[in-house]
Amino acid sequence: MNRLKPAAPLLTLLPAMALVPVLIVTWTGLHGGGLSIWQQCLSGALHPSMDADVLHAVWHGLGVTMATALLSWSLSLLFGVLLGSACSDVVWRSWTLSSWPARGLRGVLAIPRAVHELVWGLLLLQVFGLHPYVAVAAIAIPYSALVARIWRDHLDSADHRPLNALISAGVHPLSALMTALNPGMGTVLMSYGGYRLECALRSATLLGVFGLGGLGTELQLTLQSLQFRELWTGLWVLAAVMLILEQLLRFWRERSGVGVHGQRRILLFGLLAVVLGVIGTFWLRLIVPDQFSGLSWIGMEVPSWTQLNAAAIELPWLRMILETLGLTVLAAGIAIGLPPLALLLWPSPRWHQCCSMFWACMRWIPPPLMVLLLLLSNRPSLAIGALAIGLHNSGVMGRLLLEGLQQQSGQRQVALRAMGSSERMSWFYGLLSPQSPSYLAYGAYRSDVILRETVVVGVIGGSGLGWQLLESLSSFHWAAVVLVLCCYCALTISGESLSDRCRSLWLQS
Amino acid sequence: MNVSLSGPRGDRLRSISLSVSEGERIALLGRSGAGKSTLLAIANGSLRVEQGEVRWRGASIRTMPRRKKREIGMLWQDLLLVEELSVGQNVNSGALGRHNLIWGLANLLFNVDQSACKHCLQRAGLDADLIERGLIDAPIRQLSGGQRQRVALARLLRQQPQLILADEPIANLDPAIANELLDHLLNRSPEGQLNCGAEAIVISLHQPELVHRFDRVIGLQDGELVMDQPSNQLTPADLSRLYEAG
Repeated sequence: MNRLKPAAPLLTLLPAMALVPVLIVTWTGLHGGGLSIWQQCLSGALHPSMDADVLHAVWHGLGVTMATALLSWSLSLLFGVLLGSACSDVVWRSWTLSSWPARGLRGVLAIPRAVHELVWGLLLLQVFGLHPYVAVAAIAIPYSALVARIWRDHLDSADHRPLNALISAGVHPLSALMTALNPGMGTVLMSYGGYRLECALRSATLLGVFGLGGLGTELQLTLQSLQFRELWTGLWVLAAVMLILEQLLRFWRERSGVGVHGQRRILLFGLLAVVLGVIGTFWLRLIVPDQFSGLSWIGMEVPSWTQLNAAAIELPWLRMILETLGLTVLAAGIAIGLPPLALLLWPSPRWHQCCSMFWACMRWIPPPLMVLLLLLSNRPSLAIGALAIGLHNSGVMGRLLLEGLQQQSGQRQVALRAMGSSERMSWFYGLLSPQSPSYLAYGAYRSDVILRETVVVGVIGGSGLGWQLLESLSSFHWAAVVLVLCCYCALTISGESLSDRCRSLWLQS
Repeated sequence: MNVSLSGPRGDRLRSISLSVSEGERIALLGRSGAGKSTLLAIANGSLRVEQGEVRWRGASIRTMPRRKKREIGMLWQDLLLVEELSVGQNVNSGALGRHNLIWGLANLLFNVDQSACKHCLQRAGLDADLIERGLIDAPIRQLSGGQRQRVALARLLRQQPQLILADEPIANLDPAIANELLDHLLNRSPEGQLNCGAEAIVISLHQPELVHRFDRVIGLQDGELVMDQPSNQLTPADLSRLYEAG
């Protein structure tokens, strides 16, 4: 027997093994008590409420969510590009300066990036109270750090020979950077920036679920009061907005190719980001004028060393960390393994369209809402949390995989089919294989995102560090809040470093 | 085979009728764009025709069961190896048509049927020492152009086809490697059988000087069959007519 050497396409399927324990626990935890509620929920999907008051509330909530998303996205792009440039080695070297400040700044930015926007939201809510800008800041802070990281990675990995040639010819470093690196970076800004707008809309909805206003709050309230027809009015509206945004961004990406007009499009995109940010600000002021009385500092008590020590001893660290890691592994397994497995089962275009629709649904239902829906007929468990995060992220991974497969040449699949291999195997070898390394690399990045997202279901599912964080915030136990946040940061920074290594390994393989 | 195919700029192939007999080695000649690759893709079943039919041993290729399809092997011009898989996995992909899903998945987990795989690589002309030193595990992208060509040939041999179709297999090779590859495909055993194991072979070429190595020559011009004769009856004038501007 030879030693085991799983090839890349097989490795895309192996994470789906996580479905086995999750489905077993979910199956054993099923109860019939929630069946009638599920029926009401499904019937609500077919007959959403068209009541004028409900529509008005949904419209108002959608306005708050969209304005929050636009403003926070615009700010995160602006700060992200500035911070990303400031922490890039190539920028400092262009001015013949040492790059140690860039390295220092990179270390500092790892902290805001490691904390999920929900945690920022809850933290800022405690410190400043309920205010529209709290949600904006909660999204803009981690997103700026994320954009900065991507911007810096691309700046430092670009081909620097044209830049060096310009600098050696006596061109000013700023002009040289703009001339040599701008075209490539513009593509990054447009594709990644567009993706972040989708994320901002999702995050703004998520923050609403936790009481920060907008459509998410409407969804949460209707679900808590079991008003499913009203819930579905909001969900369908959210689905329509997400779908329109996805299609617009796809159209933009396809049209923003290279060429003489490429630079103009980049400038247009930058201008659009600023304009949308301004629109977001005025929109927010128009919709919720009574809340714009200025931010007030409610304050937080800085914990003493003794309080920190006491909190460190009383908290069950090992259990919390293990639960968080377990949740991450199971959810990442479902998110990465489910899309290729589903596509492999029936590799026909019609089935792939069904999968695409399913993933679209998974993307627009926020994970905490999915947990609550699953809890209607199941006992609370780690598996439910993993299933909710896993399915939500499988929506993102599935779309990415399908887009990659659609852009790829089908020649190898045709060749294998002509050699007599089955439809399934020719799809697996000929289409999935070339996509596997980039899919796995993105999966590594997604696992890192999932680790941050565990906080979202942790606070609902009563497990892991997320639950402890919410408990500590609710009881103003600042020592525990600080320690749990530090622990989260340490975990996510380690996870980020691990996923970086996995990603570069897959991309080089 | 009796086929016609239209393309966006008019007829790509016009009513071509031909048959291949057991033991034949056929050279397919014609200028670029004459329809050689199209004809081979139709014969292989990867391109469907609007009019006519391709039959293999009496059965229509369109409705032929999958198991029968593996009897026709194709050496593609751009090889179509899966870059992300190892040499061994690529060679074994030629045998996917003979095995089930489990075997296909197992091939991605460890080296299955290693001896058969090595045997095919050796028959394709790869150095035995190189094979023993772990070539099977090497990623395809680490190989040179000549080695990749041989891996593609090994995959074809692993398929064990009875009819081999090869689309300009020596177009990008230096003369020494090209000759070696043709030896592997065209040489016969003392009993008169082709060494590659196939019963017949059709190769499209851009080198008319090599036609003496074949039994029969088929010429295409602008999608039309203009020549079909034994290679020993071919004259330089025939070749000039075939390659002159249409």
